[in-house]
Amino acid sequence: MAKTGAKKRDLNRTGYLFVLPFVIIFLIFSVYPVFRTLYLSFTNYKGYGDAVWTGIDNYIRVVKDKFFWRDLWNTIKIWGVNIILQLGLAFLLTIVFSDIKYKMRGLAIFRAIYYLPNLIAATSVAFLFKTLLDWKYGSFNQILMALGLTQQQVNWLGSTSTAPYVVSVIGAWMWFGNSFIVLMAGVQGIPKDYFEAAAIDGAGRWKVFARITLPLLKPIMLYVFVTSLIGGLQLFDLPFLMQGAAPGTAGEPSGSLQTVVMYLYKFGFETHQVGYASAIAYTLFFIILIVSIIQFKTLGGEED
Amino acid sequence: MKLKKLISVMLAGVMVLGLTACGGSGTSGGGSASGSSSSSGGTQAEAGTEAGDTGSSQAAGGEKLVVWTLAADLEQFADYYMEKNPDVAIETVVIEPANYVTKVQTALNGGQKEPDIIVGEPQMLEDFYDAGYFEDLNQAPYNAQDYADQIVDYVWEVGQDAEGIQRAISYQITPAGIYYRRDIASAVFGTDDPDEIGKLFADYDTILNTAQTLKGAGYRIFASDAEINYFSGDSAWVIDGNLNVDQGRLDYMDLCVSLYKDDLTAYANQWSTPWYQAMAGTVPILSADIQNYADDSVNVWDAEQFAEATAGMDTTEVFAFGLPSWGVLTMRDNVLETSGKWGVCAGPSYGFGGGTFIGISSQSERKELAWDFLKFCTLNEDTANWWIVKSEGDTVSLVPVLEAHAEDANEVYGGQQLYAFWLNQAKGIDYSKVTRYDKAIGDAWASAITAIKTGEKSKEDAISEFYDVVESTYPEITVNR
Repeated sequence: MAKTGAKKRDLNRTGYLFVLPFVIIFLIFSVYPVFRTLYLSFTNYKGYGDAVWTGIDNYIRVVKDKFFWRDLWNTIKIWGVNIILQLGLAFLLTIVFSDIKYKMRGLAIFRAIYYLPNLIAATSVAFLFKTLLDWKYGSFNQILMALGLTQQQVNWLGSTSTAPYVVSVIGAWMWFGNSFIVLMAGVQGIPKDYFEAAAIDGAGRWKVFARITLPLLKPIMLYVFVTSLIGGLQLFDLPFLMQGAAPGTAGEPSGSLQTVVMYLYKFGFETHQVGYASAIAYTLFFIILIVSIIQFKTLGGEED
Repeated sequence: MKLKKLISVMLAGVMVLGLTACGGSGTSGGGSASGSSSSSGGTQAEAGTEAGDTGSSQAAGGEKLVVWTLAADLEQFADYYMEKNPDVAIETVVIEPANYVTKVQTALNGGQKEPDIIVGEPQMLEDFYDAGYFEDLNQAPYNAQDYADQIVDYVWEVGQDAEGIQRAISYQITPAGIYYRRDIASAVFGTDDPDEIGKLFADYDTILNTAQTLKGAGYRIFASDAEINYFSGDSAWVIDGNLNVDQGRLDYMDLCVSLYKDDLTAYANQWSTPWYQAMAGTVPILSADIQNYADDSVNVWDAEQFAEATAGMDTTEVFAFGLPSWGVLTMRDNVLETSGKWGVCAGPSYGFGGGTFIGISSQSERKELAWDFLKFCTLNEDTANWWIVKSEGDTVSLVPVLEAHAEDANEVYGGQQLYAFWLNQAKGIDYSKVTRYDKAIGDAWASAITAIKTGEKSKEDAISEFYDVVESTYPEITVNR
């Protein structure tokens, strides 16, 4: 008995050796920066020289900073529209592909195609849409005018009333494939018996969806929601790259495309106030944490 | 089992943190690298001098020098140096300006011994000095103070930190001037004399009058409305911790708005195709209706696209450009058949723009060789003479060479003696007006101007927003509204 116990422990030790490389890299590149940023958020560190402890001054500054809240609101607007479109589209496709009556073929191919936009670098996507949405010569405006849907070109990226939502739509286009795959996996995880039983009992398509698919997908939806929120509130690359198309509409002072992380970037890399940038990062973290908890409570209530 | 649970909970927790603090990962990237430097701040100098000693033996072996620069000029300097010193290999890394500061910070905070030579533009230097990146050039064996009278005064001062210690030296001076078309001047104003034309740019009101006169004669005073920017810094943005928006700034704002609203420019953005084309002659007028600032489609960088987009528009010729002395190089490549028809005169105030300042990294292990290279680039008459020829007209900072070339006639400018002019302009520059806040505050001011001239905001709202931006960006600055 004792012998096998010792052997077991030996095996465990080998296991630790196997994960060691990951743990070391994880500690250096993930854990350390996280705590280092936390520490810096309580200092006036400028990117060089000494970091002088300033207590919660930076956090007080964040709370009082109207541009932080404006940019948070910008971010939420962009994310909000994005997640509705993204999940809506993913859901629609999930319903179509999971319906046992339709018996859609070629799921693997469609899945790959839908996922493709996710694989394109944000830089390319930004460039592509900047070209398509160009005010004067963009194909999109040309098509709209050719179809007679609009008399004048719409300045999609140059107007504060359209630019944020353009980014939302592009985001939805980029990420709906990912949500679709996850939702589809969730649906496939639901035992077929339920659907068959429902079909035998004469339940309609909508009833099956509302009573079986939706409730059983809750944990998956929660996952999609939370990861989307985490990614969405950290939105940086798309708006950062798209704003160049429209000087005067982005950045200060009327920057409707300026997100929280772009604001953070300004302090971390442009004005060299690393301490304050770190405080913005942690404030954002706490906001995401709180919203995630609320999501868990409301969506995942039954799971607890 | 309990331990396992605890560990897994901890790991999961950290993962969530890792995910969410990703926004912070950028910052922590810069921050983490600095971990070592903040603690070794005191020892850095010691290590530096020590390294200097060992560096000499390495330099005698004379193999390699690493230069990090944002101006491609230094590549040519390095080639010339290697030509003269075949036993030295210089590795020149040209870094995009937007990334330059971060790269240097990351490398030097991380305690790297390379680069040996780093450079900075004026608005970066104060931070670099504070960070201790530049070697003290006043100490032996450099004794830079011995060379003080050889370099134009304001350039020498820009290279000094707050304590007056020499940290960097530039090979060029960059005073600003108004580049104007002599043929248009003669036709409209009856003279092309630089002193007389300078009077037409004496202050903002006069500039507006000049602009109206030119418009009446079928010309435009400027291609863009940003041409006076280099002359707008007649007061410091920050004085004793207080934001200083003096009347000159407000007048500059009004000038830009008037130039835009009254169709007094050709509505080109600086550095865009039509802006360059205006140097060579006729350009289309991209009036405010055609080109609002939210649209870049006409303001393209591709000449063919531009020609296609603007076919059939009204055209004009542009009278003047406001640029620092390095504008000579920009004009050289773009004036084409208007060569010889240009002149340069003084603007409404003394101004300067840019300039590459060279220093030795305090952590370099090849300081002796680095100093030799620095001297070669900035304090060597042969190099300065070579550079004037090589660059076809850049303005060097070495006084003896500037004086020797004072009577050089530049044919692009109808034989005008430009070096004498620049040297004279450089004498008027007051560097004490430059602060580390200039870029961010200047950008915010420019945004306010754009918002007003495009009608997006009223003047009052735009200025109020400007104050908000300054307050939120630099809480240490007091804003008196």
